[in-house]
Amino acid sequence: MSIPHENQGAASRRGAVRAPQSLAGGLFLIALAALALWLTKDLDQGRLNAMGPAMLPRWLAVGVALSGLALIVLAFIKDGDLLERWSIRGPFFIIVAILSFALTIRGYASGSVAIPGLGLMFAGPLAIVIGGFATPDARFRELLILALALTPGCMIMFGDSALLNLPIPMFPQALAGVFPAGWSQNAILRTIAAIMAIAALLVFFTTRGSRRTTVDVADHSGRI
Amino acid sequence: MKKIALAFAAVAGLAATGAQAQNFPSRPITMIVPFAAGGPTDVVARIVTDHMSRTLGQQIVIENVAGAGGTTGITRAAQSQPDGYTIMMGHMGTHGAAPALYPNLKYDPTKDFAAIGMAAGTPIVIVAKKDFPANDLKGFLDYMKTNGEKVNMAHAGVGSVSHSTGILFNSIIKAKPTMVAYRGTGPALNDLMANTVDYMTDQIVNVAPQIQGGNIKAFAIATPERSPVLPNVPTTKEAGLGDYQVSAWNAVFAPKGTPPDVVKKLNEALVKSLDDENTKKRLLELGGVLPSAEEKTPEGLQKLVNSEVARWTPVLKAAGATAE
Amino acid sequence: MGDLFSNLGLGFSVAFSVQNILSAFIGCLVGTLIGVLPGVGPIATIAMLLPITFSLDPTGALIMLAGIYYGAQYGGSTTAILVNIPGEATSVVTALDGHQMARQGRAGIALGVAAIGSFFAGTVATLVIAALGKPLTGLALLFGPTEYFALMVMGLVFAVVLARGSILKAIAMILLGVLLSTVGLDLETGEERMTFGLAFLSDGIDFAVLAMGVFGIAEIMRNLDHTEHRDVVRQAIGRLLPNKDDFKQAYKPAIRGTLIGAVLGILPGNGAVLGPFASYTLEKKLAKDPRRFGRGAIEGVAGPESANNAGAQTSFIPLLTLGIPPNAVMALMVGAMTIHGIIPGPQVMTKNPDLFWGMIASMWIGNLMLLVINLPLVGLWVRLLKVPYRLLFPAILMFCCIGIYSINSLPTDVMFIALFGFVGYMLIKFGFEPAPMLLGFVLGKLMEENLRRALILSRGSLETFIERPVSAGLLAVAAILLIIALLPSIRKGRDEVFTE
Repeated sequence: MSIPHENQGAASRRGAVRAPQSLAGGLFLIALAALALWLTKDLDQGRLNAMGPAMLPRWLAVGVALSGLALIVLAFIKDGDLLERWSIRGPFFIIVAILSFALTIRGYASGSVAIPGLGLMFAGPLAIVIGGFATPDARFRELLILALALTPGCMIMFGDSALLNLPIPMFPQALAGVFPAGWSQNAILRTIAAIMAIAALLVFFTTRGSRRTTVDVADHSGRI
Repeated sequence: MKKIALAFAAVAGLAATGAQAQNFPSRPITMIVPFAAGGPTDVVARIVTDHMSRTLGQQIVIENVAGAGGTTGITRAAQSQPDGYTIMMGHMGTHGAAPALYPNLKYDPTKDFAAIGMAAGTPIVIVAKKDFPANDLKGFLDYMKTNGEKVNMAHAGVGSVSHSTGILFNSIIKAKPTMVAYRGTGPALNDLMANTVDYMTDQIVNVAPQIQGGNIKAFAIATPERSPVLPNVPTTKEAGLGDYQVSAWNAVFAPKGTPPDVVKKLNEALVKSLDDENTKKRLLELGGVLPSAEEKTPEGLQKLVNSEVARWTPVLKAAGATAE
Repeated sequence: MGDLFSNLGLGFSVAFSVQNILSAFIGCLVGTLIGVLPGVGPIATIAMLLPITFSLDPTGALIMLAGIYYGAQYGGSTTAILVNIPGEATSVVTALDGHQMARQGRAGIALGVAAIGSFFAGTVATLVIAALGKPLTGLALLFGPTEYFALMVMGLVFAVVLARGSILKAIAMILLGVLLSTVGLDLETGEERMTFGLAFLSDGIDFAVLAMGVFGIAEIMRNLDHTEHRDVVRQAIGRLLPNKDDFKQAYKPAIRGTLIGAVLGILPGNGAVLGPFASYTLEKKLAKDPRRFGRGAIEGVAGPESANNAGAQTSFIPLLTLGIPPNAVMALMVGAMTIHGIIPGPQVMTKNPDLFWGMIASMWIGNLMLLVINLPLVGLWVRLLKVPYRLLFPAILMFCCIGIYSINSLPTDVMFIALFGFVGYMLIKFGFEPAPMLLGFVLGKLMEENLRRALILSRGSLETFIERPVSAGLLAVAAILLIIALLPSIRKGRDEVFTE
């Protein structure tokens, strides 16, 4: 996609493999096709007047595998693109961030592992702070302020009964016990959101000047 | 302007005041509807809970957890805290046909729930394409005897109400049509109207407009009494097939272990909602059937569930219909 | 003709009350704001917002719903353009050139053209519904399983044309997309296919999850690799709204897109989904320099967006006149109407003319609101792009998680966006494009089901596809399109076919 064609010159000077990207792509397709064939091995293919569940997936998998094979053959015949540089950091932190959101939003229990349902008030900041570290430019303080400012906004918008009132878990039920018994869920939600927003401001003002960068969200300089 | 304000006020529900733990309910209640928003079960749930929320003084929030013929949502609801704050709208499929359809089902409709009460049923209607060479159920049955092989029956996918009730129908009339699966009722009806498929069975709310519009034929309705929505359609009993009595019922359940006084409170709110004129009117407009006094009680509902599971299991197993 | 005006007059007299206009405005605004969340398309938005219409009277509620629908749809296009995350199948096409325009600092123009094109298409489609709704219903009944299969084959040929690079890779991606669409319970037999025995896969892979993964999350991962790329989006913001030259380029595609979208939208089996793809294909074929497509061509936004909105609107025809919901959004509308005591069907028009014509008039009002709300918002959205990427992407990430979770309340859906994100990242690294895969995925399900239905009904005879005139015609068009798509590459020599 974004690979300049000038790469082709460089590729032709390599060994037998003249288009490493095609080779890798072809192998990837064949692997996917093999997986699909293996998964449908026990299913019935049926006949044309009563096609079974396996007929289409199986032929599609064959098609994918043939495309992969063609790419591999071409990789030895024609000059093509080099493989792009891979990074581990980006995908790693992004995946961990998403998984931690998924596991904490309403809790997860499987066998001996049990993660309590923490609701959006924890799942949101987790996603932001962990995800933020996907780039080497990450700064913890900025991410913390962003998380503490954005999450209560979302909690009110999605959870407040005067607004969208969606059934997304917002805070751990245990936390509700901390509040006076007469309080409604909504009052608790609003209070928690307010505390988080105040915390965001506190972090913002107390740690100001400890670094030279500002956390102005609409960074006017346009530079990182 | 005022109505808009009201719209938001209704969303806000009634301001929560009160309460100790025993003072149920002290916070909003979640009702899991195991189907997508807008389907017949969802509509019934929304109509019934509207009034229940007012009685209970706490809003009942509908959470649509769709998937696997409703069993995804019911599985989750069955495993939630039995404190009355998570309840569910079960139906004929999830609490009747599911054990036969899904051998790996993670709940047992007869054991794992505290029944609260029936909400409303939607009767099943036997419909056929406009050009079908028969005009009543008797003519249809005769035609099926001689031309059974040629006939195509549509259904809305394995596990759907139209599929289960269709299999029951076929087993009673001993017909073996070619089954054509659709994803949902809409496309199946479309092909029925276009004369592409021959007949199907489905909930009245889905087929009534087409019957009234003369786009498809209705042979019979599978309830003891005719429906005010379709006064000209005979009951199966009148048409000579009294064995075929089936309704896609929707009922409220809580997870097993919910305290009896909480169940009682919920049941009272449900009954009060069903006695409300406005709720009644809205349910009847849908072609719905209101529950009998017995079905409104937790015991009556539990009895129905037990008999439904006993009835669907052999029929569906014999037809070889499983979803897993 | 006189009828048409008196009917529309009745409609507007119903719809033009202060309360109803306010309903349309609120619906459209809230719909836009929710629809703009990544991954949240019109279906999810309507489902979420359904309760706010409950205490209105039926007409007001329907008008608000129409507003929510158009707002949500436009909100989805906004996300596609700004952050390259299409919320529904039809905005996949918008993302192709729209996001490239945003990267070149022309986000405002893309959003403006999309809004104006949508408004134009909406206006035309309203008139089409009012004038031709009744006579056109017959068209819906001409299409059975055989015809739909042929239509979907034609759609897959569009996907080949959509591809920018190697045709071989595009075909591989389409096949992979169709393969992915077969995951889940088999509709005919109820057997599980490729689900690894996991319960949450038994209904198949959710479109929003797949699209968010391979577009949105993969895009973030890729941006983090390319330090030189990630500031491009906010390099220069440029003009906020389209100018005369932009209009000159955009108006013809908008007109063509409207026509294509309006016709396909009438088909009951979700034909509307093909509209944007067909429009894009047409514009790319008509363009003097097709190489601009996929690199920020304004025609690639104007045409498909118009087709999208026209189709969205004319898909009300089968619903209002036949009572058959042609797609998931319309099925939800049926539910919404049922809750308000109106059961859509052939009788609504005669029994309840106020409501029927009021609703048609309200569609136009919904479109107008869309313009009124969104043109001022363009500035706000574009300013979002100024946020430094190191802060923007974690925020997008969280919104993706919330958006996906809110659709089905399933944490597994959230996990799957991570998986598909990584798969999408690998695909990009291997030089594959995700767009043809998504199209294959969307059409694949419809294609398989209709193929099997058609063969069951014909008792296994393949001749059914050429015996029936409509299906034979569609297949012929597909064959011709495929040849046209392949020819230039073949002429250029085999080298270009595979490595362009």
